[in-house]
Amino acid sequence: MKKHKVIRIFTIASILLIQIIFLIKLVQDKYAANNRSATLTILLIAISLALGYRYVSLHHKLYAYEKISVAIWVPIGALACYSLNLHTNLGSVICAGIIGTIASFIPSISKDIAYLQKIPAAIYCGVFVGMSSSLVLPSTQFVLASGTLAGIFYMLSKKLFFGFGGKLGTIAFCGVLVVALINYLA
Amino acid sequence: MNTIALILSGIAGATLTYFVSTHFKQSTVRASALLSLVVGLFFYAFPDLLNTFLTKNIPMVFFGSSFIGMVSSKYQVNYIHLAMAGVLFGMIYLLKSDFFIGFGGMLGAIALIALLSTLGVTKFVSKSNSLKKGVQNAKATLKPIFREKFKRK
Repeated sequence: MKKHKVIRIFTIASILLIQIIFLIKLVQDKYAANNRSATLTILLIAISLALGYRYVSLHHKLYAYEKISVAIWVPIGALACYSLNLHTNLGSVICAGIIGTIASFIPSISKDIAYLQKIPAAIYCGVFVGMSSSLVLPSTQFVLASGTLAGIFYMLSKKLFFGFGGKLGTIAFCGVLVVALINYLA
Repeated sequence: MNTIALILSGIAGATLTYFVSTHFKQSTVRASALLSLVVGLFFYAFPDLLNTFLTKNIPMVFFGSSFIGMVSSKYQVNYIHLAMAGVLFGMIYLLKSDFFIGFGGMLGAIALIALLSTLGVTKFVSKSNSLKKGVQNAKATLKPIFREKFKRK
């Protein structure tokens, strides 16, 4: 039980840290540009975000993790979207829309198989990783690494931010940010 | 004008996705991906319809705010919450740091912040009795004013 609690705290703390970094960078930029109204707006958003964490019950009490067989679709979705984006000039939104729409029809193959019902969300999470520009993730190896990391977060966060909008994107952002940071430091 | 257009796209993305997924009983992934695909293809087919800034950013804002509409109905959200989160999404998108451009998942991170902030403030207001009374008083004061204006028209 203690192990599960540690994993839960680690996952929530990672997501919270990413959000704090994102907001701090925003405040830093706007403050440097002497844009006081924007700085104040972001600070107000940060306060309301804290209220959200305080008052909205985001997490399920049960400890549960997604299966690897489902999480494996995250890097697959990332590679599919990245390749489509790289080899066509459709733009990241259309590429993500195409892969996401195709993925959403996978459960229609057989509605009795529970496994198939879980695949679209995993692929859609991967799609967000694959939307990264080639400046951030320069090759397919980086996309695969980010996708795998996002897949691990996807596994761990099954009962966290349960059914909340933006969860999949934030998981993808965590994966991309960590790989980009390692790439920057290396 | 550009700011208003982007904020309206944010509202449309969030509310339409929720509407399609709840009323037409579609999965949230399909609602978000299909609507974003339609918007993306529209601006791909008609790139000169609006200025370059809007042609580039409206599909992005619509796609990002569609994640807000993917929220489960167990959080007791209504269309006003989604519209407020959509507005907040548009604002954060406009203020976003250039540092994160090209990072996949950034739109999702903004969507989570926008939705959680909106629901946080809503829950805080509903739990705080004095604030709740304030909102009710404001509603009671504003209703007759709007009614009168409507009558004059």
